[in-house]
Amino acid sequence: MKEGIIFSIEEFAIQDGPGIRTTVFLKGCPLSCPWCHNPEGISFEPQYLISKTGKTLCGEKISSSELANRILKNKDFFESTGGGVTLTGGEPLAQPNFVIDFLKQVESIHKTIETSGYAPLSVFKEVVSLVDLVLFDIKITDSESHKMYTGVDNHMILENLNYLISSEKDFIVRMPLIPGVNDTKTNMLSIYSLISDAKSLIRVELLPYHKTAGAKYGMIGKIYDPPFDPNKRPQIFNVFEDNNINTIIL
Amino acid sequence: MNDRIKNLRQYIFDKNHHKYRRKPEELGLDKLSDGFCERGLSDVERSVERLSLLLKNEIPVILPGESIVFTRTISSIPEIFTRDEWQHIEQSHFIHERGTVSNICPNYEETIIKGFKKQKEAIEKRLVRKDLDEKGVEFLNALLKGILDVQEFIKKYELYAYSIGEKQIADTLHHLQNEGAETFGEALQFLRILHFVLWESSNYHNTFGRFDQYMYPFYVNDIEKGILKKEEAFDLLEEFFLSCNKDSDLYPGIQQGDNGQSLVLGGTSISGEEQFNELSEMCLRASLELNLIDPKINIRVNKNTQLSIYEKGSELTKIGLGFPQYSNDDIVIPGLVNKGYSLEDAHNYAVAACWEFIIPKYGMDIPNIDALSLVDCVLSCVINLDSCSTYADFYRLVEREIQNRVDRMCEKHKNIYIEPSPFMSLLMDGTIERAKDISLIAKYNNYGIHGTGIATAVDSLAAIKRYYFENKEITYDLLIAALKNDFIGYEQLQKTLRYDAPKMGQDDDYVDSIAAELLNSFDQALKEKRNERGGIYRAGTGTALFYINHSSNLGATPDGRNAGAAIPANYSPSIFIKQKGPVSVIKSFTKPDLKKTINGGPLTLEFDETVFKNQESLSKLAMLIRSFICLGGHQLQLNTINRDKLLDAKVHPESHRNLIVRVWGWSGYFVELDEVYQNHVISRFEYKL
Repeated sequence: MKEGIIFSIEEFAIQDGPGIRTTVFLKGCPLSCPWCHNPEGISFEPQYLISKTGKTLCGEKISSSELANRILKNKDFFESTGGGVTLTGGEPLAQPNFVIDFLKQVESIHKTIETSGYAPLSVFKEVVSLVDLVLFDIKITDSESHKMYTGVDNHMILENLNYLISSEKDFIVRMPLIPGVNDTKTNMLSIYSLISDAKSLIRVELLPYHKTAGAKYGMIGKIYDPPFDPNKRPQIFNVFEDNNINTIIL
Repeated sequence: MNDRIKNLRQYIFDKNHHKYRRKPEELGLDKLSDGFCERGLSDVERSVERLSLLLKNEIPVILPGESIVFTRTISSIPEIFTRDEWQHIEQSHFIHERGTVSNICPNYEETIIKGFKKQKEAIEKRLVRKDLDEKGVEFLNALLKGILDVQEFIKKYELYAYSIGEKQIADTLHHLQNEGAETFGEALQFLRILHFVLWESSNYHNTFGRFDQYMYPFYVNDIEKGILKKEEAFDLLEEFFLSCNKDSDLYPGIQQGDNGQSLVLGGTSISGEEQFNELSEMCLRASLELNLIDPKINIRVNKNTQLSIYEKGSELTKIGLGFPQYSNDDIVIPGLVNKGYSLEDAHNYAVAACWEFIIPKYGMDIPNIDALSLVDCVLSCVINLDSCSTYADFYRLVEREIQNRVDRMCEKHKNIYIEPSPFMSLLMDGTIERAKDISLIAKYNNYGIHGTGIATAVDSLAAIKRYYFENKEITYDLLIAALKNDFIGYEQLQKTLRYDAPKMGQDDDYVDSIAAELLNSFDQALKEKRNERGGIYRAGTGTALFYINHSSNLGATPDGRNAGAAIPANYSPSIFIKQKGPVSVIKSFTKPDLKKTINGGPLTLEFDETVFKNQESLSKLAMLIRSFICLGGHQLQLNTINRDKLLDAKVHPESHRNLIVRVWGWSGYFVELDEVYQNHVISRFEYKL
């Protein structure tokens, strides 16, 4: 029995994979993107969210079997609609044993993982083999810039992406569009070049930045001070569409 | 939407046609009842004469681009009784709401098909039979007089149309004075006339029933004959829908928008065939394009209904119309049959103004005659908790309280008086044969009782069961003191009761079984009850407006709710709980046997509008609705709202004239609602993500 830490379970999550599904948010992330809209998901420890209406504890330690039981309670809905569970975060791959153990217990339903791709290849491989769909976030291809904004090098991420493409597992590329950070045509073209040959790429999902992402920083005692202009709208280029990749804006 | 419809929509939305309206006092019609009283006219005579006078004073108006005509030019309908007379009637009778026939589903199609000439012949034939008393003769003559007045009224419109060069309109109206409709366009015009006259007769909550079923033959016939193109049919349909919004602000209701113009699509035939047809689909499309609150659409579905129907319905939900509302044939039909409706009639059910299941043509049911506060039944027993040693003991007290209140309630519904409605009678089956007004008797004369505060009652019972009887964390004195003091000084206890106690809507069998038991008790309490017309009583899960007054006077409840705080509208989870999500809500709310609460009342699910961004999300909503139906839900209504928009609309109503919200059983314009209703809508969203 493996234990993990989660910070939210959302029923009827409609942007996170096929059918009716529940999304589990795992707490803790090795990246520290300044545009993160779930800043309470960055720390691996429970913490208080403080708002006008009161103080709530964010972060629940849970065993993989307990989580599986909770998720499988709605198995009937998942089975009749081709849905299931999506793990996101935080970075779910940062709790590999918990995630792997959990995925093995929910075999009968559709499983999706949303990841930054930041994990050792061995972990990534095993998790990919256990899921039906990967939502793979790609932010910036340039490694220096990636490090500057997210705090980590993207070498491992690109390696995992290559593996994902070669594995032919169904995947969706998710790209947050941050004004002045990665919303250039060059960056999009360079992402395109990474995935242009992918056979199992279902589509690209663009997530334009919205300043409501800053809403929760105060609640965890952080100051929201992104190194870009949050009031600016990101540029959107039709790079993927122009190259016949199905693209949607979330 | 073509330019003609677009312009007409704008014209109506800008209220340009209001300039034709006159008040009864400007026409000398405001004191009709004084004259009626002096002349000693019977109620039937008064009803006939009022309609006659009103129609004579209506002036024909044809709005720019219209082909389906008839617009109200008299702003209100004068009473037929003087104030003294009415007071006298009220003293000696039970009066339901406004005291006129309302909220039933007429048989429009028979008159549309046969025409007035044949209807007249049928009445005349009945008149020559010798088995009539004086009242019967008076009634049948009233029907004839009504027809004559309406024919004359149509003639007036015909002549006017002709005089301004609207030959086609004039021709249609000429034909419809005596004959039945032959084309789709004529059928829509005829329906508009009949509906217009019902409102003019002081009937209200005049529903449209199974519009797609009775209009379909006209549509198909025109298409097959090649005399109508599909786009033309669609334009006519849109125009008809628009016409439902012309005079609707004059229709009586509790709030603007509460006008009962509900329309039912789809359904299952007695032989099991899906009845959702091409016209049903066109209705959804028309409503989507027009984006107006009337008519309010209901879709009859069942476990085999195609996902695509739900998807089409969800497009309407997405734009925030607050409809369609779905009702489940698999539950409603057997539920109605259990209550004594014939299988054939049950298969033909329609939906009343809000959600009540009613029978077209034959039903004079009053499905909203009263409302029982289930939560108050529970609360009033709490004081006797100390006399109970088990939860079962306590529940027996609650059951007894429900029975006592139901007994007292049904006693009230005696000696009912409803104003006669000869024109409505003409549109109901069996009235000519019986020679009796529909206000007096029909094939079905059942009454329905709303059940309010269901979730609050259930959550309160669950809290008592767990904390008082099981783990004994709460003593009698503590609970009574906390409730009495509205939890002031008992904040920790309130927190436990609010947030830790089991709640309906979390897919928790512990509490959901209590809900099943409570609804069963409600049904059982009404089981043996008969009203003075021989009808039965039906229990329901709707609240109507009672969610406001049943909560404002209600003390603090054991579920942690403060005194006076809101209770949910209809069949929905308590307002302050943080829900797990719609899947758990659906699973919880479909556990009780809802065939028993067949008076109706929907589970309401609310979504932020940002949820539905693309087609994929609509398909998922469709899947969710289908799951509700497959699990045995009886009725479902979905709202899409943006809370920020609502808050802004309170401050800047002028910039949100189009903002539509679902109130309790109907959609209205948010800025036209009283503040108490606005606030309830907003508070329903406060605990959502």
